[in-house]
Amino acid sequence: MPLSQPVTPGTVDWTGENPGILLRDDAGEFSAMALFFRIAWSPAGQGQVLLLYGSPGDGSPAATPPNVLMSDNGELADFLKENFIAMLGAFRNAPAFGGLRDVAVRSVRSSGDPMGCRYAESVSGEDLSVELVWEDLEPPRALELTPDQVGTGAHTMFTLLVPARSAAIFVNGARLPGRVGTRVQAGFETTTAFLYFSETWVIPPEAG
Amino acid sequence: MTRTSVNPGRVEWSGENPGIYLKESSGAPDYSTLALFFRVVLSPHGRGHAALVLGAPDAAAGWPDAPNFIMTDNQRMMRWIVDGWVAKMPTFVGRPGLSGMSWLDCESAARDPGDLRTRYSETLYGSGVGVEMIWRDLGAPLPVEVSPANSATGEHDMYSVFLEARAADVLVNGTPLPGRVQDRMFFGRRMSTAFLAFSETWVTPGKGG
Repeated sequence: MPLSQPVTPGTVDWTGENPGILLRDDAGEFSAMALFFRIAWSPAGQGQVLLLYGSPGDGSPAATPPNVLMSDNGELADFLKENFIAMLGAFRNAPAFGGLRDVAVRSVRSSGDPMGCRYAESVSGEDLSVELVWEDLEPPRALELTPDQVGTGAHTMFTLLVPARSAAIFVNGARLPGRVGTRVQAGFETTTAFLYFSETWVIPPEAG
Repeated sequence: MTRTSVNPGRVEWSGENPGIYLKESSGAPDYSTLALFFRVVLSPHGRGHAALVLGAPDAAAGWPDAPNFIMTDNQRMMRWIVDGWVAKMPTFVGRPGLSGMSWLDCESAARDPGDLRTRYSETLYGSGVGVEMIWRDLGAPLPVEVSPANSATGEHDMYSVFLEARAADVLVNGTPLPGRVQDRMFFGRRMSTAFLAFSETWVTPGKGG
């Protein structure tokens, strides 16, 4: 809950939306992974970026389903890849990280209602049309996490989490395999499909 | 200082809520123009956009008799936010313009982020009216979190990222509304009366909150 000191010490790294879907196969391995970014402020400006690992275990740029970094702001995509995605173990350690193909975004559209039954982000560009769909949504929760509770291990993070109990990733109309699983965040069990709105990553002063 | 990772309260709404408050001179007792923009991404009443413009805050009149109106693509949501938030903010409380403003439909809302250090704008059209809010000479982003004692409504926890602007304008059908940006005490420091507010979330404190 908010502190008595109104301005949080530290430097804002970026702020915006950051929903994602991580699907696992029957063996428990990631079968498809996606993070979407709608950035309101960053040192590289505003923009929208989709990171998709259609084949997390394949490091080839020609992997099928594809591993792509789609964006309408190339500088922002580079900033996020180098300064954020590379700090998330599940994404950095996947072979797909080394074989990402850059795709220029032609259109982005969000639909549905995050306090309703369904929410979706649809991103298209070049030869790709990707749709991320979250369903069976739980009520939103406001989180404030310390560096030891976040994936980068280096930020204070504020966010609004809407967990989804089911989700799907479609690439050019084909649904990628895998199921939503569970994970633990800040001491409570949640799912591997999540909407994150109003998310702010702050570099604490002691790390600056 | 201590932190609680999961706020036990009820999330009310979240989105962007920048504002521009202008006075005709630094010694003027009251504001000549009050404007707020809303890009709401989550609320119990859905999502939407709005520009609330009071170009005559102390006149109990609406558009076109006075430049007092709210333009929105989700009236139900904004009625809820005006009653529950805007009407409780010290800058707006009791303003005749707030109760007298007209409600206009919004047909489009678009931002022009440009270079986030120099210029940012939100432009809305609807009901035959065009509104442009422009922020210039922007500062660094400040992460803010306040409890009810320090929040604008006095009732909520609030998280946001503020960027103050040293200059700003509100244009209605291309005509600037009166006044200039001033300084005020905000979040315990001297800040401009024009600001961007990204990633803003309002929470009603719950058990233990």
